[in-house]
Amino acid sequence: MSMKQAGGNRKPGGINSGAAAASGAAGFGRQSLGRGRNSAKVPSAAVAFSGVYANMQMVHVLTSVVGNKCELKVKNGVIYEGVFKTYGPECDLVLDAAHRKSPEPSVGPRREDIIESIIFKSSDVVVVHFKDVDLNYAKKVSSEQDNFTDNAVSSRLNGEHKEKDLEPWDGGEQHASGSLESLDNDLSNGWDPDDMFKYNEETYGVKSTYDSSLSSYTVPLERDNSEEFLKREARAAQLAEEIEGSASYKARVALENDERSEEEKYTAVVRDSHTLNRENKYIPPGQRNREAGMSWGAGRQNSPRLVQCSPGPPAPRAGPHDYGTIPGVDQRVVNGGPPRMSPKSQRTPRTHRVASCRGGGPSGADFMSQGASGEVTAPPPARSSPSGGTWSSVVSGAHRPRSPRQNSMGGAPPVPSSLSSPQAGTVPVDSMTTPTSATSPTSASPSPNLAEAKESRIQETRQNSPSANKENVKPMESSSGISRLASKGPPSMTPDHRKQLDNLKKFSVDFRLQSSSNPDPVFETMVSKAPRDPGEKPKEQATDKSTTDATESSICDEVPVTLVATAAGSKPSTPSPSPSSAFGTVSEQKRGPDVTSQGVQTSSPAVTSTLKLDKDDKEDKKDPVPESVRKSTLNPNAKEFNPRPFCSPPKPATTPTLPRPQGQPSPSIVVQQPAVYGQHVCFPQMYPLTPVSPGVQKSIIWKSPAMYHVPVPHMTLSQSKPYRTGKVPNMPQQRPDQHHQPGTSTMMHPNTAAGPHIVAPNPAYSTQYFTCSPQQFASQPLVQQMPHYQSQAQHVFSPVMQGSPRMITPPTHGQPSLVSSSTTQYGEQTHTMYVSAPIHQQYPHPSATLHHHPQHPQPSATPTGQAQQGTQHGGSHPAPSPVQHSQHQAAAAAAAAQALHLGNPSQQQMYSALAPTPPSMTPGPNPQSPQASFPSAQQAVYIHPSQVQHGYNPNHMAHVQQAHMQSGMVPTHHGTPSHPVMLMAAQPPAGPQPPMPQGTLNPIPVSSTTHFSYMAHPQCKLLVFLLLNIYESKGFNFEQLMICCAR
Amino acid sequence: MTRRLYVSAALLLVSGRRKMAAPAAGEYFSIGGSVSCLTCLGQRLQGEVVAFDYHTKMLTLKCAPSSGKPNVSDVVLINLAYVSDVDIINDRTGTPPPLASLNFNKLANRARAEKEEKLSQAYAISAGVSVEGQQLFQTIHKTIKDCKWQEKNIVVMDDVIITPPYRVDNCRGKEGSAVAHVRKIVEKHFRDVESQKSVQRSQAQQTQKDSALSA
Repeated sequence: MSMKQAGGNRKPGGINSGAAAASGAAGFGRQSLGRGRNSAKVPSAAVAFSGVYANMQMVHVLTSVVGNKCELKVKNGVIYEGVFKTYGPECDLVLDAAHRKSPEPSVGPRREDIIESIIFKSSDVVVVHFKDVDLNYAKKVSSEQDNFTDNAVSSRLNGEHKEKDLEPWDGGEQHASGSLESLDNDLSNGWDPDDMFKYNEETYGVKSTYDSSLSSYTVPLERDNSEEFLKREARAAQLAEEIEGSASYKARVALENDERSEEEKYTAVVRDSHTLNRENKYIPPGQRNREAGMSWGAGRQNSPRLVQCSPGPPAPRAGPHDYGTIPGVDQRVVNGGPPRMSPKSQRTPRTHRVASCRGGGPSGADFMSQGASGEVTAPPPARSSPSGGTWSSVVSGAHRPRSPRQNSMGGAPPVPSSLSSPQAGTVPVDSMTTPTSATSPTSASPSPNLAEAKESRIQETRQNSPSANKENVKPMESSSGISRLASKGPPSMTPDHRKQLDNLKKFSVDFRLQSSSNPDPVFETMVSKAPRDPGEKPKEQATDKSTTDATESSICDEVPVTLVATAAGSKPSTPSPSPSSAFGTVSEQKRGPDVTSQGVQTSSPAVTSTLKLDKDDKEDKKDPVPESVRKSTLNPNAKEFNPRPFCSPPKPATTPTLPRPQGQPSPSIVVQQPAVYGQHVCFPQMYPLTPVSPGVQKSIIWKSPAMYHVPVPHMTLSQSKPYRTGKVPNMPQQRPDQHHQPGTSTMMHPNTAAGPHIVAPNPAYSTQYFTCSPQQFASQPLVQQMPHYQSQAQHVFSPVMQGSPRMITPPTHGQPSLVSSSTTQYGEQTHTMYVSAPIHQQYPHPSATLHHHPQHPQPSATPTGQAQQGTQHGGSHPAPSPVQHSQHQAAAAAAAAQALHLGNPSQQQMYSALAPTPPSMTPGPNPQSPQASFPSAQQAVYIHPSQVQHGYNPNHMAHVQQAHMQSGMVPTHHGTPSHPVMLMAAQPPAGPQPPMPQGTLNPIPVSSTTHFSYMAHPQCKLLVFLLLNIYESKGFNFEQLMICCAR
Repeated sequence: MTRRLYVSAALLLVSGRRKMAAPAAGEYFSIGGSVSCLTCLGQRLQGEVVAFDYHTKMLTLKCAPSSGKPNVSDVVLINLAYVSDVDIINDRTGTPPPLASLNFNKLANRARAEKEEKLSQAYAISAGVSVEGQQLFQTIHKTIKDCKWQEKNIVVMDDVIITPPYRVDNCRGKEGSAVAHVRKIVEKHFRDVESQKSVQRSQAQQTQKDSALSA
């Protein structure tokens, strides 16, 4: 044992201590050993080793010979031979099997001669001779040889009980490739994909079809030296900086990229310098891009960036900024040509940032779309649209769902989907290629998609016509062109777009009034959103119109595809629940498109929103609309993105959306609501709504709360999201409005965001949009809706019901938005929101129209109509069609939130178009076309209204529920049944069904949950913000988000 | 340098000088130093000091192995009370090497095994086994642990039985490697015995060779 130091220095003690004596002979050794240790440890221990036991050397040697035969000679000369057994403290020796050695040599003892054991007193012993002793016999061989860890090494103290100071091993200067250090010095960041492919090809004969350009998923960003592009790039860089500069972002990044290696963290050896540092540390794709420069080609980078962005967004500040930036970009885009240079400039920078942030990856499509849009239409618009897309994607950072959706959208809609996806994306989200939505309406959930498409298209057309009809148209076309690739009906869109543009112009005029009050930033954001919305709407409208046509069918196909892609389940479901589902899908699709080609999508949404806004603001919005239209052009790129949509599915958003959609086919509405909620959640501003909502519609309230919550934490995000959403929907409107209405900053923003839509479509819409866009969305929508509803009370009792809540909410929203927006710009936005809210109230008519539309749609063909609505909604209201919802929920969730908002706006626009015909031509056109073509269109309108209003914020909650509820409530709406059904379906997911009876309340909760889920998706990017918010607000959302993310 | 100490007196003197100081082994004998002692029985012992206990006056020396085997050594425990004189051949400077931990279980097992073995032999001896037989048994036991006395017969591995007079021809058992192997051991044993000339003439051993050698 460890005798070593035991008694080494101890005094013998002179006396045989009782303890020592007490110890049995056999136990002596052990005890002595043990005591030795003890003594070593506690020198002053009471149990002092006595006698020989205190003599470490003696103890050791005597113990070592235990078991050996020995000859013991006593003083009388007799020799005893035996096995040394043990010894006592007085050195008494014990021999076992001892016998008196006979003089006869070599004669063994006889059995009777052997004595079991003999104890010899040391005083009698003269000499003890141990022969042939192996002193190393009992040396302990560590059985823990393998434990060559710092701990094991340091634990081998053998008596020493102080920490062993480990010394770092210096391998010298060898750097042979095979040396351990080579690993540390390896600067490579893991396997290069090419290496992996090469290895697999050589080793397994597997030939990869991987194309680093992701050409099958996205379109490379076309870089040009245009001012807009540079602005957007700068903007993107700025956003990236903001995001990456945020503490939360750093903290999260630090988790993954800890400066310290595991060795450094856990080793017991302290090394002075970490030469390796981060050489081999993981470099986020986005980072790589940056480092490498921003190459769009690197889709990965983009995606990473998106992710990064999303992280950034999570950080309240970053998020808001992002959103704000995004909106700004959108606005800029929208404004691109328009009035608000500053916003635009900011936006452009933002866009740039976004682009940079996202790199080329997923956004590649965005960029592409942007680039394309830019190319197609005037640089600004195009950019705006693209940027919108990018922004949306960027924003998606905040609105992860969207981005995901976009991605998903892109991914989902492979070919047709690609087109559709863009559309879908456009419709719901920013760039949601209205075309897709339009297309989607026709085919997948024809009605919804169509409706959306119509809306988007109409809006776009409107917008286009107003500001740059041609541009818008072009974008639309281009976007549609993308979709057209799939033989979409962009052309058809154009007429609608024009109408929409007109409407948008009208809205824009109205909007301007409202938006004028809005702060520029807000406006920008709003504008951006609005532009997108308009674009989307126009597209949607066009698509809707086209949907009626074969082109539409194609588009529809695309949409469906997108839907399918985004949420195959949702799509399937969508058809049946088509309205709601369709909407959901549409919205999702829109989102997807947005993501893919934000420009397009955004444009459509923007268009829708813009349409509303335009209707309100008309002229102003019109301008934005064109921009949005241009954005839509960007959408064309989005078309290319459509392929991406396929890829996008992978993205959280899409997948999430899909699941959601699936889960909520019928619930689609619910889904939408959820989505809306998500959006709302995203939008802090929405919170205001919550307060309001309590009064009237729980759903709304919920949304608003959610929104508020989210927004509050992430004011920027929420705002941004709202903006986005608002943008998407509003973008068109806002853009027009904002752009047109440079002055309206604060009001403008919210309004712009939501307002634009509202304006374009109808005042009500604008309001709704406002609510939606600002997170306000919720508030605005609520407000707007509320107003609308109230004003339109007729339209729907449910609306009234909702309306009252909404009404309440609006104010609250406004406040909340203000609060959330408390962040500077946001504040303005919130103001705008408020303003918008009032305006919205004015809008009531639109809303009424919307309601009417909803009713119509429902009656017309609950499924189809819903589908159409869905489409529209899809753009704006996910809820309408489960599919859309699903999409919204899933992919849209994040982007969806925005998209939803957008979509809602679009829907609103749609509504406006449908119902509000008066307010803004767009409504009429949209509704008309959709409605005309699709009775469902009216339904769609319905959905939209509900969605739009509620949608954006809680809007889905409110809108959908309201709409549905209303529809349901208002039996008038055939849709009611269908809607109810839809609601039920939609709600089921979110808990819509309950809502049905209770109307808004239940739906709201459900929707809220759903929204959250949606939110989750969107939030995927915003994860942090949203997640947190969502968490707080609702665990569901988080889970959904998680799911979405996973997907 | 060599010091001669007259144990009793010397120790007394030492103790007197150092009073009650607790003398460590090193104080009188440096661990590792070489010491030569002459016991009262006239036996001279020389070896390396391993340990010394003042109170019991027990000195432990490590000496060269009597068998001349490598890696082993003889250990002698000497009671200086019965030593007529102690010569310190040289002192070792510096600290002794650290003591290794000991596996006491292993030691205890060895003690038990040795005891059993001895008792086993004693039993056999008591049975009237010849010295040659005992020697052979010990030799075989060194190689093959599985051997025991059965009356006067040596049973190896429960397979080979060696009957008196324990010659090679007396090895019986199933034909196989075991018998052959045992025969080799037996053959070598007697050859070694003869070569060592430490022959114990027994009936069995009295071969011509042996006789010749002995003669």
